[in-house]
Amino acid sequence: MSTDEFEILDALIIDYANGALSKPLEVLMETHMAMNPKSARAFRMMMQVGGVLLEDSEPVSMSEGSWEKVLAEIDAQETLTEPAGNDNDRDQSLLLPRPIADYIPALNCPDSWKRLSRGLSEYEIDFGTTVGKASIYRIEPGVAVPSHSHEGSEVTLVLAGGFSDVTGNFGPGDIAVQQNGAVHKPVADDDGECIVFAVNEGSIKLTGPIGMVLNLLAK
Amino acid sequence: MDDIHQFSEIDLVSQPNSALHHGMGSGSSHIPDGTVPSWDVLLTRVGSQRDKQAFALLYEHFAPRLKSFLLRLGTDIGVAEEIAQEAMVMVWRRAETYDPRQAGASTWIFTIARNKRIDRIRRDNRPLPDFTDPAFSQDADEPGDIVLQRRQEEDKVQSALKKLPQEQAKMILSAYYEEKSHREIAEESGLPLGTVKSRIRLALNRLRSNLEEIER
Repeated sequence: MSTDEFEILDALIIDYANGALSKPLEVLMETHMAMNPKSARAFRMMMQVGGVLLEDSEPVSMSEGSWEKVLAEIDAQETLTEPAGNDNDRDQSLLLPRPIADYIPALNCPDSWKRLSRGLSEYEIDFGTTVGKASIYRIEPGVAVPSHSHEGSEVTLVLAGGFSDVTGNFGPGDIAVQQNGAVHKPVADDDGECIVFAVNEGSIKLTGPIGMVLNLLAK
Repeated sequence: MDDIHQFSEIDLVSQPNSALHHGMGSGSSHIPDGTVPSWDVLLTRVGSQRDKQAFALLYEHFAPRLKSFLLRLGTDIGVAEEIAQEAMVMVWRRAETYDPRQAGASTWIFTIARNKRIDRIRRDNRPLPDFTDPAFSQDADEPGDIVLQRRQEEDKVQSALKKLPQEQAKMILSAYYEEKSHREIAEESGLPLGTVKSRIRLALNRLRSNLEEIER
């Protein structure tokens, strides 16, 4: 990873902690942290620091009736049953890390996957966002993806297998960032299918809320 | 806090012999000591016994701090009040999932408030990730010593924070600010927004290296 990419990863963690990421990037980060203990730790540190800052805060009185409102709320909920855990038994989750696994159709269901070129297929995830694009790409072992450039910056998380390009080698859990306009030609490792989750925010960086990471990606 | 007293009167789950009663009489907010169980213990009790008095003490301590903290981050006062309330309701609902070995009460409650704040910003009411949050999710086969380390991390974070130069310590808080507050810092200091943000990242990095030093 280049210094830039370290910076971008830090910024992604800060933005994730503050809820400043788009839904696709948020899912990307949650998946990344499930795979990468160091990043999970960095996020945990932010929550722990938050705990310290919270404890040190000078209390500001809640407005009148606030406690009664909370009390009424919890009494009303007393009768509700707890929502069931979101465990589902999709075979996928054994192969791919949560939470992204929940967004991906069965790997062995060819109809869901759009073939882009030899050895390369795509499934586009609809997160309901209007800007940008989030896709799962599957690259067969050893296949070189045709050289391409990116309009807007793209953040890529490796879910399985690995790939290399001029900037380095990327394995499961690694994040690669392609800056706006950068041209690259990734080649999948020989030893298995490479599956990546790529989020391209397109032009959102010019119009959306400016978080830590968009500031870096917009450079 | 008068509302806590009112609550005592209408209390339905009174436990006359509870140690909590030592803390209920004065009505003043205080740090738990020998006579009042720690926040961790109170939170655990809410989870295991649905103890409303323990919850009242947690509310009395944390709700005004959540409100204050949110105000400092740039949240509007009405919204800060509501998020603090919603977070406390969620504390009640989710207390069963609280594991004191993984996080102190203040870290746990901060994380809940973070989720509430994000829901609020988005208004999309996404399904609560709560403790599928990778920061606290615990694999069934995770060894007990790792779980213990999580809790110990908090003390180390505290020491690492103390070792930060004052200016950087101030920057740390800004890492949680809303965007408009970053813009305000930039305007006040005359620094470009990008510079403000890179200083925040630097401060967090410094904190992380302090932490690594402590752990070495």
